[in-house]
Amino acid sequence: MRAYRGQPRIFSSLDKAQREAELKVTDLSLAFGGIKALHNISLDVHTGELLAVIGPNGAGKTSLLNCITGFYKPSSGTILFNNVNIVDLHTHELTKTGIGRTFQNIELFPGMTVLDNMLLARHIHCRYNLGLAALFSRSVRNEEIRHREILEEIIDFLEMQSIRSELVGSLPYGKRKRVELGRALALEPKLLVLDEPFAGMTLEEKEDMVRFLLELNRGWSQTMILVEHDMSIVMSISERIVVLNFGEKLAEGLPEDIQDHPEVIKAYLGDTTDLELDSLNAGQEQ
Amino acid sequence: MTSKKAGRLQCIDPNTAEAYTRCTLPQILSRQADLLGDRPAIREKQYGIWKRYTWKDYLKYVRYTALGFKSLGLGRGDNIAIIMDNHAEWLFSEFGAQALGAVTLNLFTSAVSGELVGALERIRASLVVVQDQEQADKLLDEKKKIPHVKNVIYVDPTGMRSYRDDLWLVSFADLLEKGKDLDNESPDLFDRELSKGRADETALMIMTSGTTGVSKLAMLTHRNLSSMARNWGESEPIGIGSNWMSMSPPAWIVDQMWGSGITLLTGMTMNFPETIETITKDFREIGPSVIITSSRFWEDLASMIRVKIDDAGYINRRLFSLAEKIGRAYEESLSQKRKPSSIMSIFYFMASIAVFRPLLDRIGCSQFLSAYTGGHPISPDVIRFFRAIGLNLKQCYGLTETCGIFQIQPDDEVKAETVGKPIPRTEVKISDDQEVMVSGPITFAGYYNDYEATAEAFRDGWLLTGDAGYLDEDSHLLIIGRKQDIIRDKHGNAFSPDFIETRLKFSLYIKEAVIFGEGRPFITALINIDMGNAGNWAEERMIPYTTYTDLSQRTEIEELILEEVEKVNNQLPEPMKIKKFFLLYKLLDADDEELTRTGKVRRRFVYGLYIKLIEGMYSDKNDIEIKGKVRYRDGHIGMIQTRVRIVSVY
Repeated sequence: MRAYRGQPRIFSSLDKAQREAELKVTDLSLAFGGIKALHNISLDVHTGELLAVIGPNGAGKTSLLNCITGFYKPSSGTILFNNVNIVDLHTHELTKTGIGRTFQNIELFPGMTVLDNMLLARHIHCRYNLGLAALFSRSVRNEEIRHREILEEIIDFLEMQSIRSELVGSLPYGKRKRVELGRALALEPKLLVLDEPFAGMTLEEKEDMVRFLLELNRGWSQTMILVEHDMSIVMSISERIVVLNFGEKLAEGLPEDIQDHPEVIKAYLGDTTDLELDSLNAGQEQ
Repeated sequence: MTSKKAGRLQCIDPNTAEAYTRCTLPQILSRQADLLGDRPAIREKQYGIWKRYTWKDYLKYVRYTALGFKSLGLGRGDNIAIIMDNHAEWLFSEFGAQALGAVTLNLFTSAVSGELVGALERIRASLVVVQDQEQADKLLDEKKKIPHVKNVIYVDPTGMRSYRDDLWLVSFADLLEKGKDLDNESPDLFDRELSKGRADETALMIMTSGTTGVSKLAMLTHRNLSSMARNWGESEPIGIGSNWMSMSPPAWIVDQMWGSGITLLTGMTMNFPETIETITKDFREIGPSVIITSSRFWEDLASMIRVKIDDAGYINRRLFSLAEKIGRAYEESLSQKRKPSSIMSIFYFMASIAVFRPLLDRIGCSQFLSAYTGGHPISPDVIRFFRAIGLNLKQCYGLTETCGIFQIQPDDEVKAETVGKPIPRTEVKISDDQEVMVSGPITFAGYYNDYEATAEAFRDGWLLTGDAGYLDEDSHLLIIGRKQDIIRDKHGNAFSPDFIETRLKFSLYIKEAVIFGEGRPFITALINIDMGNAGNWAEERMIPYTTYTDLSQRTEIEELILEEVEKVNNQLPEPMKIKKFFLLYKLLDADDEELTRTGKVRRRFVYGLYIKLIEGMYSDKNDIEIKGKVRYRDGHIGMIQTRVRIVSVY
């Protein structure tokens, strides 16, 4: 019945200890040759929080995410996740510690169906071994059913029923972004890292995505780091904001503080005093 | 339970069905739960799997819903509104409320806040069941205007977290819990309430479409619905476990007819799709045995099949066109009541194995025993196409006030233009002024709080349908059109311009037609040819032409259209036959104010503009010299001088 939907067990059945996601980044630096992509960045993420990372193009936002999710190895500094240093862990080990992510440029398998793409994410939760799987024993079958049920609940939550058996390659961009979120959720991450989930979406798709993220964060206390360009969305849904510029942390605080922060305005709009002078000069010449 | 109809269907015993017409709908459900027990009553797709509710489950949920309503203070004679899409909770709420003696009204989920509030005020609803957050928000905005609504029950809990502190809102899951608790406290409360119901009480109300003025609330009694269901069960191939797919909004009569009538009484299974977007797939998985939809559905489906076939490979294309020819010839001989030759039957059998069955399976129509089209007139070509490929597509007719469809074409007497014969225990007659009148147990109890309209709807115990029509030689009913649109000729014969025009426009070569003849000795027509199709036709025959004006005045085209008009005339009764027509030298255009922006002909304006030509048809002239204005796209007006020929039919 419809009356009993909206209770995905990956959230509703977990207790608080299982949801713990304390991330502590200290003095993180990353250099590509002579270019300092990140310089002495420190930040904290607490359990149940929605932290947004913003900044102009090339500020180092994606680099920071790549360090956290193990794609880049930082030159110095530490990243503690639930008091374990994860700097030296590989990506496949990181997913097991409970960090899941989506990508700015969708990284799905276009030749596979939505369901198969999401099923792949379940392999870290598989308890059976190759031998049992080859025999397709009762326990294996029961477990496969359990995985499918979990995925169906995610599909229901993200309203993807009509595309579940479509090939990902045939889907429009906005839908693919949704599938990527679905796959990240199928990992059952403690910390969900979202790299520009709203990029290239129509207004309606954005509204849907905001709805999902809010329900995840406020409803099910999913800890999240969100990198996003769309300021109106960031300001309205995030609890705390970190601003980066040229690899350095410019500011940190509540959305309303960040909105009026002079350094942030300067980083985004350029130096406004110069601008005014220029336009004044231009006016006089005319 | 008895078996009937070729032994394939197992049906409810006729005596039981008769007894059911003396029960309320929830009472029928309670008996069906004893009779049918663990057979599937409702199927709903959720989490990608069809989940079924047995008749026992069905009763259990209705019981809990009813007691839940009771604990919220719903009593006999109260009204509740249901603003839901097609989900099982709709039926639980409806029968739950009716078990307590309350009356239900379904409203459209697409309605705006003002409309909903207006309807709630009108019936002074004491409870409202809504689909989700979207619907709840519409009511929350206007909460002050509807103080009589004690609680709003929402079905889908998604996104309702932030509303938890609002005690006005109750979740459906909580409602069921409340009902369960009350059931444990007083286990015989439900049965006591259930037994108080009487068959002649109002069960539900349905809002009429209100194309003319304010919409009215038609009240249907339990007996209306159960009688209608019994009549359908007798005349149509419906059995226990046959499938109905719930697709049209519950606020319409069609799904009410099946959901709260036929599926309940005949033991059919009601199937609910997963979401609105997945209907096509879910439909195919279920393969329903009966369907009623608008003519639009079939026209779209037919053109979709044509497009797909055109895209198919050479072999498939040839095979399909061959099979279609066989199908048409076979159907043709059947409709003329000739027995097809044995060679023909063999061919038809082969065609159906190789082409028709796989095709019908693809579109989810392989299990249909009957398919109906209602509402607007449907092109006979579309009907013939589907009948040729082995789909039993028939026309039907009905009203909200008659509990839905009461006219259906019998299986072996399908005619392209009629709406068939009445279902059992229903009588239809034509009044002196050609209005179709109905009588039987299916006619409604009246409009809610509108005695005047109710009195006007009946004459000597017959329900006036508001449609004009006549019975043909086989006593099939033909609907001409809404009675208020009917025009009379000089001899007092009624005809509906729209009826004739629609049939003319079924022709590929006719784009627009306007019928004249009010107070005249005979009927005439102004016709616009279809430039694309008529142009292709001319090119294939090497007939040269330049412009629309040129093409429309060619004698070959005149003969082509004459043939088409004669075809239409053959379907029409004598006084409605077209005697003369002319082909207009230009297309009727909204820019020239001849059409409305929605594409409807402005009849009087057209008459005024072409009075010379139209009057010419009632004189004995054969052609008329005319100077006409043509407005070009850039706005400037050009003059056309041409000679328009009047074509006489016969």
